[in-house]
Amino acid sequence: MSLTIVRLYHDLLGTYGDQGNAEVLVHRAQARGIDVELVEVTPHEPVPTSGDIYLLGGGEDGPQTVALEMLRTDGGLTAAVNSGASVFAVCAGFQLIGTRLPNSQGRTIDGLGLVDVETIYTDEPRCVGELVIRYSQTITQPIMTGFENHQGRSVLGAGVTPLGHVLSGIGNGRDGVDCVRPEGVHVAKVFGTYMHGPALVRNPALADAVLEGACGPLAEYVDEFAEALAAERRTTLWP
Amino acid sequence: MKSARLAVATFAGNCAGWASQVAGRGRGETIRGRVLLAVDPSALSKLAANRDIVLVSGTNGKTTTTANLAKILADGTDESVSTSEFGANMTAGIASVLMQQPAHRLVVLECDELYLPAMYDALKPKVIVLLNLSRDQLHRTGEVRKIANLWQNTFTGDDVTLVIDRDDPFLEFAANQAGHVLRVSFGGRRHPDAATCPQCANLLDWTTGDYACNCGLGSTLAQVRADHRLNGPARNTVLAIEAARLMGAIVPVELASDLTAQAPDRIAKYDVSGVSVPTRLAKNPESWRGALAGITASNVILSVNARGIDGLDTSWLWDVDYSPLKGKTVICTGQRRLDAAYRLSVQGIAVEVAQDFAHAVEIAGSDVEAIASYTAFQDLAAAQLGIKGATGGRS
Ligand SMILES: [Zn+2]
Repeated sequence: MSLTIVRLYHDLLGTYGDQGNAEVLVHRAQARGIDVELVEVTPHEPVPTSGDIYLLGGGEDGPQTVALEMLRTDGGLTAAVNSGASVFAVCAGFQLIGTRLPNSQGRTIDGLGLVDVETIYTDEPRCVGELVIRYSQTITQPIMTGFENHQGRSVLGAGVTPLGHVLSGIGNGRDGVDCVRPEGVHVAKVFGTYMHGPALVRNPALADAVLEGACGPLAEYVDEFAEALAAERRTTLWP
Repeated sequence: MKSARLAVATFAGNCAGWASQVAGRGRGETIRGRVLLAVDPSALSKLAANRDIVLVSGTNGKTTTTANLAKILADGTDESVSTSEFGANMTAGIASVLMQQPAHRLVVLECDELYLPAMYDALKPKVIVLLNLSRDQLHRTGEVRKIANLWQNTFTGDDVTLVIDRDDPFLEFAANQAGHVLRVSFGGRRHPDAATCPQCANLLDWTTGDYACNCGLGSTLAQVRADHRLNGPARNTVLAIEAARLMGAIVPVELASDLTAQAPDRIAKYDVSGVSVPTRLAKNPESWRGALAGITASNVILSVNARGIDGLDTSWLWDVDYSPLKGKTVICTGQRRLDAAYRLSVQGIAVEVAQDFAHAVEIAGSDVEAIASYTAFQDLAAAQLGIKGATGGRS
């Protein structure tokens, strides 16, 4: 079995260590004997349409707008998602895959529209701190943690499911059309979240959920350090 | 002339500082300044009047560069220089330095990045040394370009000279409205956090080894050209020498190159149950890279905390390449040891975890060096002095 993971524009969307998500996906896939290729796409390079999982990280407002315009012009990410690829997008990346968001001047612009989420500008205090959520899917240990750091608030459209529900912290910061205290988004194979940490580092179950979306059921694998870290964060933040 | 209010404030501050010292709470620097400002809020400007002040700010190396610059300035002018100690670099710590030797004309002060605008207004410094800006404590300062913006909005007059590394696009942007700028070039090097322009957010063109942007940022002529092989501490020494010269110090060329060659790095030697552990302070991706490059021992302790000053978000651990540690025995400790251990294990580096620093030293045996995040470093220093808990300021 082989898997292609595409990391997009690290220079623009890599401010908060989110490339750890790529390393963890590669690590956990290889541990299951999956043949993984990690493709780095730098700005101005064409985005391949044949990838299985596309990763977008967090970034500052200006670079976020630059990345969005490049992805819109390129069209590769949208084409890949339309033909069934997975996306894991964090913070600025999560905002830009939605329908609308504020640009670096605070003006509302269209996002890529891969999910029905609108991010709005607000002068409420910035959301900074540890975030604890209950994952929307039924799994043995649904408590997940991350560190959020964002200004925008994100509103989920009708019928759109969040990644989880906030137990502590802010998350999307606005109730969705059909949900309260949502965090992130999870529709089909598209995941969005405000959790840095990086998110897939601190939540091995979430990393496996992203991998399973792309390559089906995975073999059992326990990484002691990953489980110990996830448990330590969980018990410290949600005792 | 000293005002009566300032005299009372100074007396009250000194009493509080002394009481704090006697009570064993460290050096009493911050409390002394806090009391002074409570009694006389305008004490800062009064204490700064008729003195020649240099401020040092930036992400890494503030404490070391401040001490270094104060010494170069004292040696090069044959005058006494008042300067910050223990990295106390916010309002109260700065007030404390100013009140201690009010007769000293020359003052070199370390200043926190976010406090720089207020300190510039209150102290009217002659020279400000701006050290490199890179990602640091993302939860507190937000983003690097926000600090660059804040500084650019501050430095619009011609009453101060900024000393900057012109290879840093954030500093070039921060200084581009200022009346007087002394630019030092180190031959150009790619900035790890400046893929995009601080001014217009478009991609910077780094293809020439230098940077340029369509909006016009980049390629400013430097008045001083320095060796491109210098490391971070040595580059900061070059900036300190230039600042000292602007303040009137005589620093002959040969002395300048000696000083640069022996640039001080922030390494403390801690004695833990009879084992001497050279320990480097590292607090953000850039300083971790520098610290890792300096490791020579075969056993290495990494102590990672995420308390206030350290930054609460440890995501940056994944932005550092730990390959200099391959083949060594690595022990992770500190409050966030598991974050560090997992990161290293994913990079294929064998790692052990220890409950605390003493236990880590026990595992490491001899031939050991350590890298510690800010509060971990403070705890070690405090333990060494027999003080309970962390004290002092920040860098
Ligand atoms: Zn530009």
